[in-house]
Amino acid sequence: MNSSRSIKIGCGSAYADDPLDAAAALADSGQVDYMGFDCLAERTMALAQIRKLQDPSAGQDQRIAQIVPLMKRLLERGGKVIGSFGAANPNAAAVDFATALCGLGIDGVRIGIIRGDDVLSQVLSTDYALPELRTSTSTIKERIVCANAYIGADAIVDCLREDAQIVLGGRLADPSLFVGPICHEMQWDLDDWDRVAEATLAGHLLECGEHGTGGNFEDPPYRSVPDPHNIGYPMAEIDESGIVVTKLAGTGGLIDRNTVRAQLYYEVHDPARYLTPDIAADFSEVTIEELEPNRVRVGNARGRERPTELKVLVGIDQGWKSVGEFSYGGPGCVERAQRAAEILRKRIDRLGDAVEEIRIDMQGVNSLHLGAFTAGYPAEVRLRLATRCATREAAATAAHEVETLYTHGPAGGGGAVTSIARAIGVTPAYVPRDQIDISYSVVTS
Amino acid sequence: MKLREIAFSRSGDKGSTSNICVFPYNDADYGRLVDKLTVEVVREKFAALVTGEIVRYEIPANYGLNFVLFDALDGGVSQTLRVDPHGKSFQSLILDIDV
Repeated sequence: MNSSRSIKIGCGSAYADDPLDAAAALADSGQVDYMGFDCLAERTMALAQIRKLQDPSAGQDQRIAQIVPLMKRLLERGGKVIGSFGAANPNAAAVDFATALCGLGIDGVRIGIIRGDDVLSQVLSTDYALPELRTSTSTIKERIVCANAYIGADAIVDCLREDAQIVLGGRLADPSLFVGPICHEMQWDLDDWDRVAEATLAGHLLECGEHGTGGNFEDPPYRSVPDPHNIGYPMAEIDESGIVVTKLAGTGGLIDRNTVRAQLYYEVHDPARYLTPDIAADFSEVTIEELEPNRVRVGNARGRERPTELKVLVGIDQGWKSVGEFSYGGPGCVERAQRAAEILRKRIDRLGDAVEEIRIDMQGVNSLHLGAFTAGYPAEVRLRLATRCATREAAATAAHEVETLYTHGPAGGGGAVTSIARAIGVTPAYVPRDQIDISYSVVTS
Repeated sequence: MKLREIAFSRSGDKGSTSNICVFPYNDADYGRLVDKLTVEVVREKFAALVTGEIVRYEIPANYGLNFVLFDALDGGVSQTLRVDPHGKSFQSLILDIDV
């Protein structure tokens, strides 16, 4: 074993609209060899599929032209970029990368493109159970708009072996974006379960960006984080002795035992069985050691064989969603908002069956926890009407009802804001791994 | 005493399932959390929000509890009409429990 093997990898993005300044700082620092970009969330993929339906050349991450110049120096140093930039359209993402590289005068970059996560046609032609909806795909077939399998690190490693400097795909599982490069550089086999679990531990702590460096954490006066406006993104240094999670000197944020613990079990169910396409990981006895400020060593993740089925996220057309908000202030604001809510309910009733679901909240009073907190009388309240409708027209009419409160509602209401959007539900199916055909190709820009 | 005075938390979402992990600031308070922060207590606090089963995992090695709340997010982030579709604010509600 060559004990000098190591990798330094940073996180560039945690979701499709993540700002890129921290990613640029990491890439330019010279302190990372790889950058991993998670560009997707459950909802993002469905929205990307809708963009692709409207325009076959769309559906990829919309930031590629911005990202490539920020990665220029990293790429010139031989650094590599891995990401789920493909979203609904990996081929289009590859074209965007090639175009942006050409624009910078860089050519000859090897781009690995991973395909096969889009399993819509298969889900439409085969009946798969949808356990959370207690139904199956054949019964709601006409409403299914997308189906993407969470895929693992295998194809990422394949692309890296063929000297890809950029590796992109669609629904690559978030930690796998990091497991691929870590296992490639460390020469860890993808069926060496304890090591894949270690790589997944690093990936899990990196893939949510600032969640790993003190974001979503402050709660004064109990917990505070320095300079959150300038928060750094996480990076990991991995060698045979283990994993160190850290961030760039001079950035804001915090990495300590508590921020690491908070993120370690984030979106994990059974801590002894965290399932990804790569592994059934046991994080229940992970060790966390503070080495110095903002440097934490983690280890002792254990692994068992990866699941035989891949999770597929199935998107279901749920019509249209409208939201309208309106404010009341001062003494009696809650009672006036309640009166306005009664008006809205009666007005929406007139729209009949086109409105499938209605919800009215009073923000500042009960919108987040439905009255589980009891507080004093608020200085102001924001009334919020949300509906789910069969048609765009009904959603637009429902949203407009909030604006009509200006003229026929109780006294002193103001500040109407409305929006409408497609409503796409997502629900998981589980498909045997051997029924999903993942492929890749590496092209030169 | 409210849980917020001795512990911190983070909530996340997968579909319509929420998970909330809770850690005491002081490791010595872990036993108290195990005793006080039962599934029944959490179910009562989240009664208006969660319709499904609640499962608690103990993580003694890191002095944490992880609650998994099924059917907690009204169908999940992409379709719910709730103000906070991810249940990000659930971490604040659990800290309001009396311990």
